[in-house]
Amino acid sequence: MFFCRNSAHQQLINYVSIIVLLFIPVTQSYGTELLADITSRLLKAPISQGTFQQEKHLKILSRPLMSSGLFTYDQSKGVIWKTLVPVPSLLLVNESQLISGQGEQNAPAAFGKVFKAMLGGDLNELTEGFLITGENIKSTWHLQLKPKDEFLQKIINTITLSGDIELRTLELQEVTGNYTRIDFTQITHPTQLSTEQETDFERLSP
Amino acid sequence: MLIMGVLGRQVLTKDWLETGFLALLPITEQNPEIAKAVQQHNERLNKKVIWLTGAVTSKEAIAQAQQLKQRLQASGLFSKLMLELPQQQMIKQYQQLFPYRYQLLDAKTKQTLSNNPKDLLSQNLESLYSPLGQLLTADLEHDPLLLLGRYFKAQNPVMLSLEKGKVILHDANQFWALLVSDLEDSHLQLDKLEALLALVNSSSSQVQTDGGQLLVTGMPLFTASGSDSAKQEISTVGVGSSIGIIILLLLTFRSLRPLLLSSLALGSGLLAALVASVLVFGKIHILTLVFGASLIGVADDYAIHFFCDSFGTKTWRPQQALFYIFPGLVIGLLTNLLSYAGLVFSPFPGLQEVALFSAVGLLGAWLTVVLLFPLLLTGFRSAHKPVILKIANYWQQYWPVWLLKNKRWLLPFFILFIGGGLWQISPRDDIRLLQSAPTELLKTADKVKQLLPMYQENQFFLVSGLNIEDWHKNEQQLLKQLALLTQQLVLTHYQGLSDYWPSEQEQQENYQLLDKSLYNSGLINQYMTDLGFSDKAVKTEQNQFALAGNHLFSLPSWLETTDDIKQQQWLGCDTNHCSSMVSLMGITDLSRLSTLQNLPGVIWVDQAEQFSSLFARYRVSVSILLIVAYLFVFAGLGLKFGWRNALSITSIPVVAALFSLAMMGWFDQLFSLFNLFALLLVLGIGVDDAIFFFMAEKVKEDIDDKRASTSLAVTLSALTTLLAFGLLAVSSTEIVHAFGFTVATGILMALLLSPLVGHKAAEAPPLP
Repeated sequence: MFFCRNSAHQQLINYVSIIVLLFIPVTQSYGTELLADITSRLLKAPISQGTFQQEKHLKILSRPLMSSGLFTYDQSKGVIWKTLVPVPSLLLVNESQLISGQGEQNAPAAFGKVFKAMLGGDLNELTEGFLITGENIKSTWHLQLKPKDEFLQKIINTITLSGDIELRTLELQEVTGNYTRIDFTQITHPTQLSTEQETDFERLSP
Repeated sequence: MLIMGVLGRQVLTKDWLETGFLALLPITEQNPEIAKAVQQHNERLNKKVIWLTGAVTSKEAIAQAQQLKQRLQASGLFSKLMLELPQQQMIKQYQQLFPYRYQLLDAKTKQTLSNNPKDLLSQNLESLYSPLGQLLTADLEHDPLLLLGRYFKAQNPVMLSLEKGKVILHDANQFWALLVSDLEDSHLQLDKLEALLALVNSSSSQVQTDGGQLLVTGMPLFTASGSDSAKQEISTVGVGSSIGIIILLLLTFRSLRPLLLSSLALGSGLLAALVASVLVFGKIHILTLVFGASLIGVADDYAIHFFCDSFGTKTWRPQQALFYIFPGLVIGLLTNLLSYAGLVFSPFPGLQEVALFSAVGLLGAWLTVVLLFPLLLTGFRSAHKPVILKIANYWQQYWPVWLLKNKRWLLPFFILFIGGGLWQISPRDDIRLLQSAPTELLKTADKVKQLLPMYQENQFFLVSGLNIEDWHKNEQQLLKQLALLTQQLVLTHYQGLSDYWPSEQEQQENYQLLDKSLYNSGLINQYMTDLGFSDKAVKTEQNQFALAGNHLFSLPSWLETTDDIKQQQWLGCDTNHCSSMVSLMGITDLSRLSTLQNLPGVIWVDQAEQFSSLFARYRVSVSILLIVAYLFVFAGLGLKFGWRNALSITSIPVVAALFSLAMMGWFDQLFSLFNLFALLLVLGIGVDDAIFFFMAEKVKEDIDDKRASTSLAVTLSALTTLLAFGLLAVSSTEIVHAFGFTVATGILMALLLSPLVGHKAAEAPPLP
């Protein structure tokens, strides 16, 4: 994923503005029809869960940083991102809060929304911050998201989403050439959260 | 008078009114270091106005804030408006600090390194693998241990959400965009404050029309609303009392002349006072104006005695009248001037101002009466006998008789009443009573404090040491205690420079710690290789580290890299003295913080508390001055009229003042420095009343008529004073109310007692 630990300070020159996440007012919504078509293909479910495999390709490192774990999306509660390998950690996100292993952090309001919108397949929500182009072919669909925000353009080149009745892959291309790819597998839609998931979400106040 | 007018034009066109409270305090009272710290602190807070625009979405909140910013910019009131965080400045800071990354370790990193260096590495891995890790890990290439990232994170414990470079706060149902503004100047001039209040109101309604909400807070708003409400109240009371006085004087004299002339006397007195004070002090304080103007009210007596004299004689001529009442006027003036003289010797600048203001004002009014009235009253005659004259005369004849007849039980009762009241009186000197902020404003301030965790409190610590090392050691000791208290929720945050800038010794220790734990041990090589760094990168990092071995970051150069808020916390070094301020946020328990001043080099600065204790000390010293003033008057009168007479004259204001104090006790009224001013007014008027009754007695011809006109004058003067100042008792500002209450009770008592002076029981006609 493309986000950072936010705070009033920044660490890296190139990345300083990543904090300044997202969203300028909607002026046009490119490919509204396309989005509508894709949205209609997606399974609508209040709860999604599955496993993820994440690869971070950093130019300075000779091999990608690979991690995997479990994710849970709940329409009303937010997202649980549980990394199991190689370093166990837990990240909880909703529209106004972000809790990581190092405690609660104030997240930009927009971050939780985008994170949720991507995992929940709420494509319309994404048109607010991105210019969207793509194709909808029989087996899979692909969408290219380009940030509308000037700050973000300096950091993010494109975000590519692809899938069928589910979102299967998310790829983030940074301007620096680094990129991150996340694959979602074993996606299911239970009707109820497990007690463990419930307990995790309880840490997020609505 | 012409000269006065010309001078006035020149003097009063400048900015002459002072409203800040600091100006009331003697500069010599404070240790110069604290004074400097307080001044810096106040200058900062006196400028800051914090605006929060709220809306259901953050986008709307930002749009509102942008519009608001334009409005504020257009007003020209502000020197600084910050909506977007200064990104360039942060980038620059990162670059400036980068060479010192091995020296600038935060406390937590240091602790992890000394306990188990591997923990640091696994924390880094967690960040690197997290979907959020990008920013923290962004400089992985140049800072593989992410040391500077950790330092920055520790430096800003309050995590703020940013959106498009703007700080966004949120509560249960709204998003808020933060706009911080600095007023152009911290002196808070009255017209600027009015403009600010108007701007706040218009902006609020504008934001509301656009469907949002606006929260505004800051010192300037409290000051503005304080002077605004005081002004409103004084003008409401002023209108009420003016109408009352006009009706009273018109009914009594059936002529406009007394009204116009007494206004003239008071007006010229006020103008003279204002001009003289501004000439001497440069600026006068709004409180001086209020209390000084009240004291000049005594001057009303002179005019009224003059007019009332016209009832005493059938063929009245002003020159002749002046001849009769002149001794009374002179003695009245002298006693009043004497009573104000004491104030000049107090070290309290406010009291000196009041003394000069009142003395000059009184003199001005007095001169107008004595010099101009004989001319202006030519042809003035009161042929009628107003009802009030009959009542006053009847009352002055029979009231003392009744009093003397019943003194057997009245006296003990009265003494008990006064003793009981005095017993119950308890002084309250809390300065916060001076500024009774509207609840609306307090509620907004609380709400902002909740939303904005770094809202700075008024209290702070001043930390000093012999040199920078010593100061650093002292401040670190304090900050350790503060960290403990933060865990116990005594406060939410604190900010001290020594947490951000390690002393040079600590910088060397930090470097050695890194060397021992990670670099020399080879742990970093393993960590970097495991992550996938090339061998060359590992070597480069080891080289960089070796080269940075003798880097030292001096405090002045560090200060240059930091923001102005932190820069202002540093108070500088003298030959053998360095000091800084530690600021505090979200205090819940003041008393536990104040105990930390026992630490070496630490001073607790709580201005409200210190002001209040100053007020208490001045209340005591003004009490003494008041007693001295009464004694002066007594001595002056004694030399002129003999001790026996002096005693009977002085006893009137003394008993009136005691009665007023007793009433305060019985009714649990606020008793502070400011009631004492009221008692000075009671002294002035009480003595006047008594003297005129006494003088009336000395005029041999037409004894009853002189006493009659005098009693009318005393009654009228009491009534006008009651209307003018006693009405202040209805004020909602506690000190104004207390002032009014004291004047009202004191004047009433003086009125009731003064006919006893010079009363000869034998000469009283039998009761009809």
